[in-house]
Amino acid sequence: MALISIRNLTKRYGNAVTALDGLTVDIEPGIVGLVGSNGAGKSTLLKILLGLVEPTSGEASVLDLDVRTHGTDIRQFVGYMPEHDCLPPDASATDFVSHLALISGLPRTAARERTAEVLRHVGLYEERYRAIGGYSTGMKQRVKLAQALVHDPRLLLLDEPTNGLDPAGRDEMLELVQRTGTEFGMAVIVASHLLGEIERVCDHLVAIEGGKLLRSAPLGEFIEQTGTLAVEVDEGSAALADRLTADGLTVVVDGRAVLVAISDGRPYDLVRDAVADLGLPLVRIEQRRHRLEDLFRDLPGEPTLPAEASAAEAAAAAAAGAPTQSSGQP
Amino acid sequence: MTDARTTPASATGAGPSGSIYDIGYRRYEGPRLGRRHAARSLFSHSFRSTFGIGRGGRAKIAPIILGFLALLPAIAIVGALTLAVQFGAASRFTAQAPFRYDTYFGTISTVVVLFCAAQAPELFGRDQRHGVLALYFARALRRSDYAFARIGGFVAALLVLQLAPQLLLFLGRVLLSPDIPGAVAEDLPSLPPVLAQGLLSSALLGGLSMAVSAFTPRRAYATAGIIALFTIPNIVAGVIAGLGASLIGTWLILLSPTSVLDGTNAFLFNQPLGSDFFFIDLPNWAYIAAAIAGIVGSIAITVRRFARIAT
Repeated sequence: MALISIRNLTKRYGNAVTALDGLTVDIEPGIVGLVGSNGAGKSTLLKILLGLVEPTSGEASVLDLDVRTHGTDIRQFVGYMPEHDCLPPDASATDFVSHLALISGLPRTAARERTAEVLRHVGLYEERYRAIGGYSTGMKQRVKLAQALVHDPRLLLLDEPTNGLDPAGRDEMLELVQRTGTEFGMAVIVASHLLGEIERVCDHLVAIEGGKLLRSAPLGEFIEQTGTLAVEVDEGSAALADRLTADGLTVVVDGRAVLVAISDGRPYDLVRDAVADLGLPLVRIEQRRHRLEDLFRDLPGEPTLPAEASAAEAAAAAAAGAPTQSSGQP
Repeated sequence: MTDARTTPASATGAGPSGSIYDIGYRRYEGPRLGRRHAARSLFSHSFRSTFGIGRGGRAKIAPIILGFLALLPAIAIVGALTLAVQFGAASRFTAQAPFRYDTYFGTISTVVVLFCAAQAPELFGRDQRHGVLALYFARALRRSDYAFARIGGFVAALLVLQLAPQLLLFLGRVLLSPDIPGAVAEDLPSLPPVLAQGLLSSALLGGLSMAVSAFTPRRAYATAGIIALFTIPNIVAGVIAGLGASLIGTWLILLSPTSVLDGTNAFLFNQPLGSDFFFIDLPNWAYIAAAIAGIVGSIAITVRRFARIAT
């Protein structure tokens, strides 16, 4: 039996909004990334798994317990870190986390011990006796993680754990998530719309879009099958596209760039030969997989409209805030 | 890992050498006590928070001042009684004492209402304002457990607020009396009505205040709403009753929580209502029924609110 089993799960809010639409997926232990753009249904899925939101139809079970009927039993063994602020400013981290440990069902002495343990684990030391209101965003995120860990859950659900953190804070939080998953052998589900972060810590990805399952696969497979090679030339992109299509590759022309799917083997040799034969002024060859849109929309067989693709690229460059990788190997 | 759990002494008190080991993350293998333990913990947390225990210094100011005001009449009486005993006038004083068990609830009811207005929004308002509800609901509780535990903790706090002065009064009367067993026997019949009135008034005032504060994360709104709920119906009913002892006007008095509690107090202590009441002809059961309806209704509204609130 899988850690989480979801069958045909649908959730509608009123008649207008469909958050989940017939989702079926099994999730096995490990660090699993739940990816999707904003509004894809990630948070709704996490809340259904916690038994906080009643599904409209379909089945879901966590640790072999039905989410509809065994909500409180499930929640004793699941830790949840919400996306939004959830900490009272007037309490200290120690008081607040140990209080929540009691509410998770731990006896009083165990709650105190576990609180000290998890606050040390997330890296809060002397400041844990001060009121949370004075904490930085990074420290607050640590407290949020600590409260999710305090009852030693078997499964940890993290909703956008790096929300609002600066790059250094993101690195630390991701490292913490990874250590939690690997060293403690705890199953972790990380929901995020930032693929760059997810792929650093996860070993399995579940991608949803519009409440439907796009794919569920190990991370390596994901990247291999969905990577895109952008070949940018000063002129003659149409000719290059024709040539590569004739060579049996799936290509999309995007302005001056030709996007080549890397799904079937490594097309580098073919690209090199084609550019050389046609004598085209090559600007660069780069691998693009920085945003979910690249993963999902440029899938072979789904040609992207050039205008949309270039807009997506511009947004990707802005969102990533880092230069695009220009290496051949992932 | 299991060694560290089973023999924590070896990990923490590492002997004379005093080395510190990185023992890594330890799993928790102990018991998980589930829903009832969670609800009980939240109940006691609510009770303590209402008095500002376990919270910052500023959170303690209002409960300390209001708690002192609630105790003040009892302190005054016991103090005066002590003096009277010194001068051998105890029996005359006791007969004329302005605050007795049957009048104490009416005496401090304003303090209790202010206590509700000040402290009820601390519990529900704080959880809503800072998003803490999401963390509670993600634990071994149901939403209704959360609502019941919070209301229960607050009602218990109100009960202590109202009964502590009565206990002081009792201790003062008994210990200052020359005939202690006799004094106990004399005061004991007051115990059931004191407890019953304490329960009714704590549950009604507490339930209504919590229902109001469940609907807004804003503290100021909740405080204003609670004060309005406890004063405006009282004034309106008084005006209507004053216009003439019509049937409707008389029954409308049951919409005013404080008047209802005056009625239950008169019934439980078997005292006639004062002359400022125009509705003496209402049957006694009507007050009790109105109080119980108010308690059940306010709790039901609160539980329903938290069953639907989005987190």
